[in-house]
Amino acid sequence: MGSGGNKNNRSVTRRSFLKASGAIGGAAGLAPVLSAPFVSRAVADNKSLSIVQWSHFVPAYDTWFDKFAKDWGDKNKIAVTVDHVPVQDVPARAAAEVSAQSGHDLFGFNGSGGAHLYRKFFINLADLVKETEKKFGQVTTIGKQLGYNADDGSWSAFPDFYINFPGMYQKSLWDGIGMKPDTWDNLRIGGAKLKAKGKPVGISLGHSNDPSTTWRGLLWSYGGAIQDAAGKKVVLDSKEAIEAAKFVAALYKEAMTPEVLSWNDSSNNQYLASGVASYIVNPISAYRTIQQSNKKLADDIFVIEPPKGPAKQIMGAASEFYGIWKFAKNKEAALEFLKYYRDHWPEAFKASEGYNNPCFANLVPKPMPILANDPTSTPPTKMAILQDSDKWSAIPGYPGPATPATDEIYYAFILNDMMTKTATGQSSAEDSVKMATQRCEAIFRKWARRT
Amino acid sequence: MVAIADSVPKPVARFRFILDRRNVLGSIMIAPAILYVLLLVGVPFLMAVYYSLSAYTIYDPSWSFVGLANFEDVVQDPVFQQTLYNTFIFTFGSQMLGLILGKFGALVLLRPFPGRKFVRALVILPWAVPIALATVAWQWMFDSLYSVINWTLIALGVVTRSQAPNWLGTPHLAMLSVIVVNAWRFFPFAIVIFLAGITAVPQDVLDAATVDGAGFWRRNYQIIMPMILPIVAIGLVFGIVFTFTDLSIVFLMTMGGPVGATSVLGFAGFQTGIVSGDVSHGAAISLFMLPVLFIVVVAMLRFIRRREV
Repeated sequence: MGSGGNKNNRSVTRRSFLKASGAIGGAAGLAPVLSAPFVSRAVADNKSLSIVQWSHFVPAYDTWFDKFAKDWGDKNKIAVTVDHVPVQDVPARAAAEVSAQSGHDLFGFNGSGGAHLYRKFFINLADLVKETEKKFGQVTTIGKQLGYNADDGSWSAFPDFYINFPGMYQKSLWDGIGMKPDTWDNLRIGGAKLKAKGKPVGISLGHSNDPSTTWRGLLWSYGGAIQDAAGKKVVLDSKEAIEAAKFVAALYKEAMTPEVLSWNDSSNNQYLASGVASYIVNPISAYRTIQQSNKKLADDIFVIEPPKGPAKQIMGAASEFYGIWKFAKNKEAALEFLKYYRDHWPEAFKASEGYNNPCFANLVPKPMPILANDPTSTPPTKMAILQDSDKWSAIPGYPGPATPATDEIYYAFILNDMMTKTATGQSSAEDSVKMATQRCEAIFRKWARRT
Repeated sequence: MVAIADSVPKPVARFRFILDRRNVLGSIMIAPAILYVLLLVGVPFLMAVYYSLSAYTIYDPSWSFVGLANFEDVVQDPVFQQTLYNTFIFTFGSQMLGLILGKFGALVLLRPFPGRKFVRALVILPWAVPIALATVAWQWMFDSLYSVINWTLIALGVVTRSQAPNWLGTPHLAMLSVIVVNAWRFFPFAIVIFLAGITAVPQDVLDAATVDGAGFWRRNYQIIMPMILPIVAIGLVFGIVFTFTDLSIVFLMTMGGPVGATSVLGFAGFQTGIVSGDVSHGAAISLFMLPVLFIVVVAMLRFIRRREV
């Protein structure tokens, strides 16, 4: 019944089918020719630009950026999509896109050595950086560490911003003991007094970004470093590094509590917000959160430059940069967007509430909005010192460039473990430094063969 | 004529005839699974093997052959040796705990009580809840500042605030914590396995044992356990394979800390191969799992076959 059916019920005969399919095929074939004058504009309008970047710690920034990108797309008749991924997913996302040779046009990278690691896959942005320098002044040291390749003068990435790590302290507590946490020694001595009053110092000794950044700052401020300025040799095994490790042990025993051994990146923020911590090292997002939840405590929290060490005053920083994949479908659109974004960078600075710091000298002229005069803070000049944070901020790799090797050392938490082992007495400062040096050297040897 | 011709649809009959052949139908039915395994397991596995023998990095995606040099580098790293040790402790610790919890859970759920169906459904939750969500909840329970476990211990007077355990900050406790979370995740699966096994034991065998004077423990460990051992072994193989290759709990809870005390092979391979871009060494670290898993699986399967014979 089914296949035989009643002849009268048949709606499609072979002849009618051929006729219909011929007509449809012909119409389809002629359609582009007939409609070309009318649709060419529409095809042009179908251009697209896809961007991926981390989910910013200041959520309002993402809201601003998405609208900013969409408005630019509307103006230029380009469909813009912005994807935000958690910061810890950025490396895996980049690796996946490179493996597939397909993905977003513009890649917002978070992590210092990434531009060098993905160098062969990013287009050279030297012209864009030169043009930006002409317009907005010289690129900063951090900017250069991030994207510049000294061997051929190319730029793998456009340096977007760095995130500074100032100190934050409860002023009334430190005033109460007549001290200020302006040097590492004062932090230890004052921290010990405040710990006795139930208000310890809170710097993580766990496996996360904050301690990786902070303890690098301490190492540099003692005159030590992981690599030399050329980025060729591991120089960690030094008396300065041993002194730095011994200092961390003393700071841990005298001014901190064992809680810091398990902390992640949000723990010190929570510690400060709970009113327990007398001092932490963190980007200003910690202070901004407290402003919303506890105005009285926020008024008592002051922002201070990182503690001075025996050699210098310096602190680690995090960084963000943009790269355009060689396999991107819309390189021109990505480049045009970057230029537009750069020209409106002060808006980005405001949207991030002063969290994103410029990588070009005059990108945000001083006095900087928000930082120089923040009406939400008491006093409004509380964060003014952050305008000069480029003088005391450096990214992993300092005093040399950020490279795949320095990044692997960072992601393997080698420096964190060196400090923690010494602090908890698992090994002496000398042994901890030696062990960390051996691991760094193994990583350097490995990458020397591969780069 | 047309009507007669139409009423004999020969191609359909031929097709039906083909499907009636047991071996053909079997091949067709199993083909998607084989294709899936070949494309999504076999090919990546072979690629991982080659990566581990090559100089492949994200910086320089070169396929040049380097032999076992990557494995030599990895073995010489003292941190890797600790990672390998951690992986064994994590895997076998959590499987042991999961099996014990699963056995007790199954015994409880076998007995009728009001709301048993609801409890049975609830018990499956740890298995069904996304691991990221569950791990975040556990992270708060083990948090150094807001641990509800510590709060309870302090409230009960078991410890003082200063004596409260630093779950994720002390090496042994951190390992115990990740083991507990993995066992919590695994035990519903163990309950299902035990329930399936125990309910399959013939009631007359148990009745005969009871008449002969066998008590609860003897029935459980001399009659039920030997009978259900093959099915428990199958569950254990799954558990060991999944745990040995897992990185999510460590990645979300401890990032391998403190001082590498909870770093496991999956996590170390991911950090080196993907995050740091050294794919060849990352693959070498990950492939260390292979011989261990191979030996474990072969031994378990041989054991199961022997029991069945």
